[in-house]
Amino acid sequence: MLSSALCSRVLARALRGGGTFAEIFYEDTRAFGMTLRSGKIENAAVSRPRGAGIRIYDGLRSIYVYTCDVTQQGLLRAADRAAAAVTDTKGTGRDVILHEKTFENIHPVKTPVLSVDAQRRADVLRAADGAARTVSPRITQVTCGLLAREQHVLIANSEGLYTGDTRTYTRLTCSAIASDGAENQTGTDSPGALMGFELFESRIDPEKSGRKAAKTAVTMLDAPYVQAGEMPVVIAGGFGGVIFHEACGHSLEATSVEPGMSEFAGKLGKQIAAPCVTAIDDGTMPGEWGSENIDDEGTPTTRLVLIENGVLKNYMIDRLNGLKMGMAPTGSGRRESYAYAPTSRMRNTFIAAGQDDEDEMIRTMGDGLYAAQMGGGSVNPATGEFNFAVQEGYLVRDGRITTPVRGASLIGRGSEILMRIDRVGKEMTMGQGMCGSLSGSVPTNVGQPTIRVSRLTVGGK
Amino acid sequence: MEKSFDLQMNEFAAKALDAAQAAGISPAEATVALSESFSVRVRAQKLEDYKVSDRIQLTLRGRWQGRIGTASTQAMDEESLALLIQGVKESAELIENDEQDDILPPDAQYGAVCNYSDVIDTISAEDKIALAMCIDERLCAADARISPDATVVSTASEVFSIKNTLGLDLSHSSNLIYAYASCLAREGEAAATGFKLLWGYALEDVSPFDVADGCVKDAVEKLGAGRLQSGARCVVIRSNAMADLLSTFSGVFSADNAQKGLSLLAGKEGTAIASPAVTLTDDPLMPWGMGSCPFDREGAATMTKNVIDGGVLHTLLHNRRTAAKAGVATTGNAAGAGRVAPSNLYIQPGQATLQDLLAHMGDGLLLTEVSGLHAGANPISGDFSLLARGFEVVDGEIQRAVEQFTVAGNFFALLQDIEAVGSDLLFEGSPIGSPSVAVKKLNIAGE
Repeated sequence: MLSSALCSRVLARALRGGGTFAEIFYEDTRAFGMTLRSGKIENAAVSRPRGAGIRIYDGLRSIYVYTCDVTQQGLLRAADRAAAAVTDTKGTGRDVILHEKTFENIHPVKTPVLSVDAQRRADVLRAADGAARTVSPRITQVTCGLLAREQHVLIANSEGLYTGDTRTYTRLTCSAIASDGAENQTGTDSPGALMGFELFESRIDPEKSGRKAAKTAVTMLDAPYVQAGEMPVVIAGGFGGVIFHEACGHSLEATSVEPGMSEFAGKLGKQIAAPCVTAIDDGTMPGEWGSENIDDEGTPTTRLVLIENGVLKNYMIDRLNGLKMGMAPTGSGRRESYAYAPTSRMRNTFIAAGQDDEDEMIRTMGDGLYAAQMGGGSVNPATGEFNFAVQEGYLVRDGRITTPVRGASLIGRGSEILMRIDRVGKEMTMGQGMCGSLSGSVPTNVGQPTIRVSRLTVGGK
Repeated sequence: MEKSFDLQMNEFAAKALDAAQAAGISPAEATVALSESFSVRVRAQKLEDYKVSDRIQLTLRGRWQGRIGTASTQAMDEESLALLIQGVKESAELIENDEQDDILPPDAQYGAVCNYSDVIDTISAEDKIALAMCIDERLCAADARISPDATVVSTASEVFSIKNTLGLDLSHSSNLIYAYASCLAREGEAAATGFKLLWGYALEDVSPFDVADGCVKDAVEKLGAGRLQSGARCVVIRSNAMADLLSTFSGVFSADNAQKGLSLLAGKEGTAIASPAVTLTDDPLMPWGMGSCPFDREGAATMTKNVIDGGVLHTLLHNRRTAAKAGVATTGNAAGAGRVAPSNLYIQPGQATLQDLLAHMGDGLLLTEVSGLHAGANPISGDFSLLARGFEVVDGEIQRAVEQFTVAGNFFALLQDIEAVGSDLLFEGSPIGSPSVAVKKLNIAGE
């Protein structure tokens, strides 16, 4: 880690030609990845990403320089390269005095993955693989992965902040292929948490994960293509929350709100969703995949109500966009690594539990689609156009779930779908994903109870 | 003068190779990737973002107890040296697979290809900012309906070196400049985004007028888009959208995927898998190609080949391991970490202009954009169901913009259904490119 004395020297150097704010983000990470395929451990490798990013605010402009050379000489050189781009020369030659700040660790880790015997790590994958293969003889391939990352970060800025944290991520990925010789179908399950290896004792059963992936693949192999059209859709909880993430979450990030490139810009206090919708973005949930103690700007993480009974309450705001918008940052400044300047990002984002009965939603929907498991999706925040894939879907006929169907995708506009949610179930569950945006790929949870959308365009054959 | 960072890393790599040998890891191989970039982003005549970077990574591979282990680092210190040696051993001990990428002496001969321009090194930061400002200014002045979103100008360079204890010692440098703009067009309730990217090896390759005008045109022509009725339609897939599809499904041409049951093209060599109009070429020796390099990630010489030749699958893409298993020679497509990947991969252009393709189609759809490829397209089954945009075509003429529909099909069926290939081959900021293609039918879900 970098000493406080070195950080203040580098920050002062960055501001020597002007600029209103300077920050160092230093990271020294240990990552481990292992893959099992065709029943054998195929890859296993440890890596050590390390580097630092120096950011200066030149008025409302962001200057960002990053390097792997974190020697004193390398950091001063990076500070010089950043300082050379500063145009606002007011307040030159400031001293930077740093005060160490500590935070309560609300996500304690018991057993870092790299401290666990290598064969025990491999056993997790063997368990998932074995369980997946017992589901059906038509399972022709299983790929399981273990990903572990221990990210040590240090954040210091010209306002005197000097702080750090260690984030420990552990994730299992299972992917199964079912084949009848001519056609292949896949199923996946990829649970993870901000925890160490104890994850596999307390939260995740690798066998269950493997079985779930295999069952989806086999189910889809027998499924006919969905008939395309507009229809009511019931979306199950867990990873189903990706619908809110794409259809609305990205459009509530300051990254798209501040420049007016969001369909929800200027809508604070307005009804943007049906009254049954309350949505939260929460970084404080212990051990959850999208949780943190502090964000990547050193701001303590928060629990943020985005939408309350359909009314827009908050945006997710990072420091720089906060300055531009005249609003306080919400602990939402995140980045994949030192190679990215931070910006506003989601954490654990979900539609809160509601009042509705899940059986009733299906019983009263007539003909439509039940999306038991969602795949990923994407959105254009400026227009709100979203799309996502249904990994495991079922036809609903006359209020009853009937046959599985494949190839379904859901499309629409965020503002429309939010207003068309007409049922919200009682139990909220979450799923894990990697979310990509301007500041790279960050771990996020999506979540919701089972919900119903009165009308959606379902794409298929 | 201080030692440059890459020089320090190369010395560290040599040290790591020595340490590996001393620890009984033999043979051993070190690859060093150094990348540098500069990027500015402008909006409404304000410079909003200025970014400079250098990044370096050392990966050590070596044989230990019969298997080959891997570890990598971005830090050059004693701790990293220990992590590399320990990491390679642990990795080798964990791996159960008998078929591994070997470490081998150099090939007898390597092709020559250039995709490094000295000119790019001479473009100053001020010139790049001025270019971004110029694009943005033209966007601002374009049309009252247009708000500029972002204009980005960037240069990037990479040096990739690979060295092993069996005499292999190779290095390749590449660089490029790119500029892109995105904007939002609004008219009444209608909104649409526009995008245009150009890239190349000199300022002349990224004409500010072409970027700005292309971006505005892209947004404006989508305004007032209507919906489409659901049903099957004849489709012309525009070059950029076809390249996106090809890129998403490029993994099906990997012999590694085929041998692991992850590609439906396994064992299909010599059979017709596409329409006779389709010739698919992988050309790592393409002059000024974004993905050009005379050697692959395991140091094997690369070569130009047709993957599909007149509709017939000629070869899958191999590294040495997959080639040995299949009893053929490597195609020089090792991509590191055991993977196989294309270099510059593209469908060979035909004679017809886009207008000719539309005229030939008569009534149907010009598909210009597909989104959500990471979720709505499955390379293992070949199925796709994607949010799309385009234009309704009547009697060979563009009639109106259409949006909010999905296009669904199967990539393998699509290859068979290609009726004609256009002349407008495009690499839009990617080493995977395509001309526009006319296809028989795709399923549309709209209203």
